[in-house]
Amino acid sequence: MTGTLLFQSLVLGVLLGGLYALLAAGLTLYFGVMRVVMIAHSAFLILAAYLAWFFHQQTGMDPMLSLVITVPLFFAVGVGMQRLLITRLRPATITMMSVLLTFAVALFIEGMIGFVWGGTQRRIQLPYSGDSVSFFGAQIAVVKLIAFGLAALSLAGLYLLLKHSRFGQALRATIQHREAAQLIGIHTNRVAGFGFGIGLATAAVGGTALSLDATIYPSLHWHWIGPLMAIIVVGGLGSIPGAAIAAMILGIGQSLLQVPLGTTWAQTIFYVALFATLMLRPQGFFGGRLAQRF
Amino acid sequence: MLNASDARPAPGTSGRAPDDRAVAAGRPWGRIVRVAALVVGVALVLAFPTMVPNAYILSAGIVVVSYACTATAWNFMGGFTGYVSLGHAAFFGLGAYGTGLLIRDVGLSSFVAWIVAGALVLLVTIPVGIAALRVRGASFVIVSIAFVLILLLVFQAWGSFTGGSDGLVVPRPFPDLLRPEHHQVFFYLFAALLAVMLVVWWAIDRSRFGTGLKAIREDEDKAQALGIPTRNYKLVAYVVSATFTGLAGGMYALWFGDLDPIFQFSIMLGSYMVLMALLGGVRHLFGPALGALIVGSGLEYFKLEFGDTQLHLVATALLLGLVVLFMPDGIIPAVRALLKRFGPEDSSIREVTAAELLERNRTASHDAPSRDTASTTAAATAPATPTTRQEDGR
Amino acid sequence: MSPLHTPLHPRRRGVAAAACVAATALVLTACSDDGETGGGADDPIVVGISLPLTGDFSEPGKGVQRGYEAWAEFINEDGGLLGRQVELKILDDQSSADRVVQDYEALIAQDEVDLVFGPFSTRLVVPSARVAEEYGMLYVEPAGAANEVFEQGFENLFYAAPAVADDHYNYLAEQILAMPDGERPQTVAVASMDDPFAQGTAYGLRDKLAEGGLDVVVDEVYPPNTTDFSSIAAKIDDSGADMVIGGTQYQDAVNLIVALQQLDYQPQLAAFSTAPTNPEFADAIGDKTEGILSPTGYTETASWPSNVDFVKRYTELHGNPPGEDEANAYTTGQVVAAAVEAVGCAEQGECQQQLIDWLRENEVDTVVGPLTWDETGKPQGAHLIQQYVDGEIQIVLPKDAQEAELIHPKPKW
Repeated sequence: MTGTLLFQSLVLGVLLGGLYALLAAGLTLYFGVMRVVMIAHSAFLILAAYLAWFFHQQTGMDPMLSLVITVPLFFAVGVGMQRLLITRLRPATITMMSVLLTFAVALFIEGMIGFVWGGTQRRIQLPYSGDSVSFFGAQIAVVKLIAFGLAALSLAGLYLLLKHSRFGQALRATIQHREAAQLIGIHTNRVAGFGFGIGLATAAVGGTALSLDATIYPSLHWHWIGPLMAIIVVGGLGSIPGAAIAAMILGIGQSLLQVPLGTTWAQTIFYVALFATLMLRPQGFFGGRLAQRF
Repeated sequence: MLNASDARPAPGTSGRAPDDRAVAAGRPWGRIVRVAALVVGVALVLAFPTMVPNAYILSAGIVVVSYACTATAWNFMGGFTGYVSLGHAAFFGLGAYGTGLLIRDVGLSSFVAWIVAGALVLLVTIPVGIAALRVRGASFVIVSIAFVLILLLVFQAWGSFTGGSDGLVVPRPFPDLLRPEHHQVFFYLFAALLAVMLVVWWAIDRSRFGTGLKAIREDEDKAQALGIPTRNYKLVAYVVSATFTGLAGGMYALWFGDLDPIFQFSIMLGSYMVLMALLGGVRHLFGPALGALIVGSGLEYFKLEFGDTQLHLVATALLLGLVVLFMPDGIIPAVRALLKRFGPEDSSIREVTAAELLERNRTASHDAPSRDTASTTAAATAPATPTTRQEDGR
Repeated sequence: MSPLHTPLHPRRRGVAAAACVAATALVLTACSDDGETGGGADDPIVVGISLPLTGDFSEPGKGVQRGYEAWAEFINEDGGLLGRQVELKILDDQSSADRVVQDYEALIAQDEVDLVFGPFSTRLVVPSARVAEEYGMLYVEPAGAANEVFEQGFENLFYAAPAVADDHYNYLAEQILAMPDGERPQTVAVASMDDPFAQGTAYGLRDKLAEGGLDVVVDEVYPPNTTDFSSIAAKIDDSGADMVIGGTQYQDAVNLIVALQQLDYQPQLAAFSTAPTNPEFADAIGDKTEGILSPTGYTETASWPSNVDFVKRYTELHGNPPGEDEANAYTTGQVVAAAVEAVGCAEQGECQQQLIDWLRENEVDTVVGPLTWDETGKPQGAHLIQQYVDGEIQIVLPKDAQEAELIHPKPKW
């Protein structure tokens, strides 16, 4: 292994970690507000990628413009899902049953994508698909850079929203102690719905970023949900900073391990980290009180 | 199909399903009907291979019985303890590959390899179970899915040992049989395996152990407080469930002959198990098998009718969604409730789930807030007060 | 399209029977088979086929379907087989091994088809060939090119193409090893999908070059569902290999090439299996195709008598000439038809063994040239080597079939 290859892998890892971080933040947000493991998160991710592809196919415009449509659309779908589906479940069994319900949603999306657009692999061919910029000896594809930029911007936006807005305070209060949040007059119900919508909006951004430089097919979401779930457990269920940090570390780790181990074995890092976390620190490495008993 | 085990009054196991027994005792003809139904059901299963018009229908029948085996095996964990595992396909695949590899590499004869593979699955499950059961609820599901995904990766990547994506060819146990005869033999073998599982489930259901497991399902903290060794109980249930799943997988390998990581370690297979068990009813002996009959034939029908589209996924998704939202207890209780409406009101004590109780108490108390607020109460106070922590159990 | 041909609504009876299973075992007796039995002089000859029309292999699967349909249509226009019309029964196996077995089981046992043709991809050929063998059916297949297929001891299987995967690059290997020292590439990077066919092609070439003294500096395998090729590409780039060999299907080749382009890796020679012959390939990698090599078992310009006819009629029908998948499927039809005409029967039972015996002994003229087989069903021929020259994919090897000179070294992409 040469130094250049190592550095190249490190850069690729950071770029990948950025995307993981955004998506894991969304996944952990659902858990925070509703105690729901949202299996369909990555299915929505792939759906957004398909919508970007379809948009590009139909209009010939840059797929990133599809964000104007998909982000509000996914936000609305998220709010609707929380209101119409999740709240129908019996509270006593919500954690287990919501897994099955969102699993069903994931299957539904996968099936409909296959039905509407066929089972073949799709890829967006852009004029700048093969372009790259040189960065201290590493070649960075322009499309990967744009994808990372999108993810980083959204993550920064999410951070600002949560830290510095009234809504963000209400959301964090809801995550930390729902009953107490209610007592001080927060409409936790509405907040939870918006939380769901924001989570799904991250999937819309992530999917568009993904579509720039990846081949997509209907069942691709299974390859994303595993790593993402591992990330949120390692980071501590419900903790957004924890998810982001774990995503970055594991993304870089995966990329570096690909050099000696190959792509397939490198992916096992997520599951090794998951099992190690459960044996050593079931509440996650960055999670707070919330994660302890889940 | 009715739950025959419920027909027999069982003094001594005071903890379980008193309503069924009370009903049966009060109406002796009920028991006769149930025994008769069981006999007819068994006779139909035994006669099935001679009744089918051709080998294809027979092979479809084998698929349905193998589904029934996996769903019943899943129910040892899912039904008794309420822990939903979406990753039981991992054990199915391990059993299948274990059988195939033992025949290929160790040279064991087919059915010895099958038993040994079952034992290996049992050994593998213990550490996995310890890790997975350190956590409740959400994390358990995540671990169960992760276990399938990790095995898929390993079996794909470790080509020199498992055959990788080329798959693994398992030699026929009966090379001399013609294909239809081969199907017939395996139909009976699967049916026998299913019968063994049902008997074991029935025995556990009536035992102290089974009562303990069901206590965990209803309220794990209270069960622990009452002195039930919850961790060991859950682990045993998990291991039994996984081992039976592995045996079903091994049997499938012997029958089908071609293994491929993508289809053995498939999340879909695991989700079918959950769907079948939930649809039939996880609290009932024959629930998963009934679910398998419905889902298995439905899948076959859908793949034939809409094979060139992905509609079978959509259909599975809709069915799963409907079951979760509107019929989480399955068909058997739903049908019973319907029958009960026309039958005489029974006054005996009923088995009530903690969830139902919570629901009832909530609607009863007059200043009950919205159901969402109540869920908040349960969730938010969870770590502090054990009594409201039912949600973790299921 | 033939009026008899019903690809999308197969086996109503199967559905009815399955529905019976669903309803209850009690009514099963009502589902007894009262259907057609083949053999009458006027009945059509029914050919059962299962193809991956969805899933991983759906692109080539649809090509094979077009080839089969063209074969059935042309043969019916010419008066049919043994004077009987030909009807295809095509099921979708969703690229799944579980499904393909069930499909052939249903076709043979339930629909009682007279003949079967093979599916696409080695992974699906092996399980389905076993079903056909256990029912004693002749099994000619258009796509199971990997060595593994012929090591299973099948006695009913014939591969309807000129050469098995390992021999696809034979002409290219000879050419490279014959180059003078200064020109000959010294180092080779190999990346292959974990798939028997893809690996067969790439490793056939790799091993011949390694024996000839070239260094294999990268040797990567990736699972079929891989979409992120950046790290594999980084390794290849880092090794600076003179030549890159891709054991690829379709999309993975596109992804790998784009990833290599992103790293600005410029090899002297680049060979990829399958993908470059696909009409959409040039678009997918941004038209930077110049110099890319690929083996092919078929060329539309070949002068075999039946090929001239096939290309003309196919082009009239579809508006574009047939590709390799279509031609291989058509070849399958030709091989079975030759046996059927020679033996004079087409039904299940005794007849199938006679067809098998006939093919063992005889040579068949097809659109890919005359074919003969050894006892394992392996064809005895070699593949042509194509290269993108002036934006067109053209035959460059062997010399006697050449349409353009081999470009070496390859221009930048």
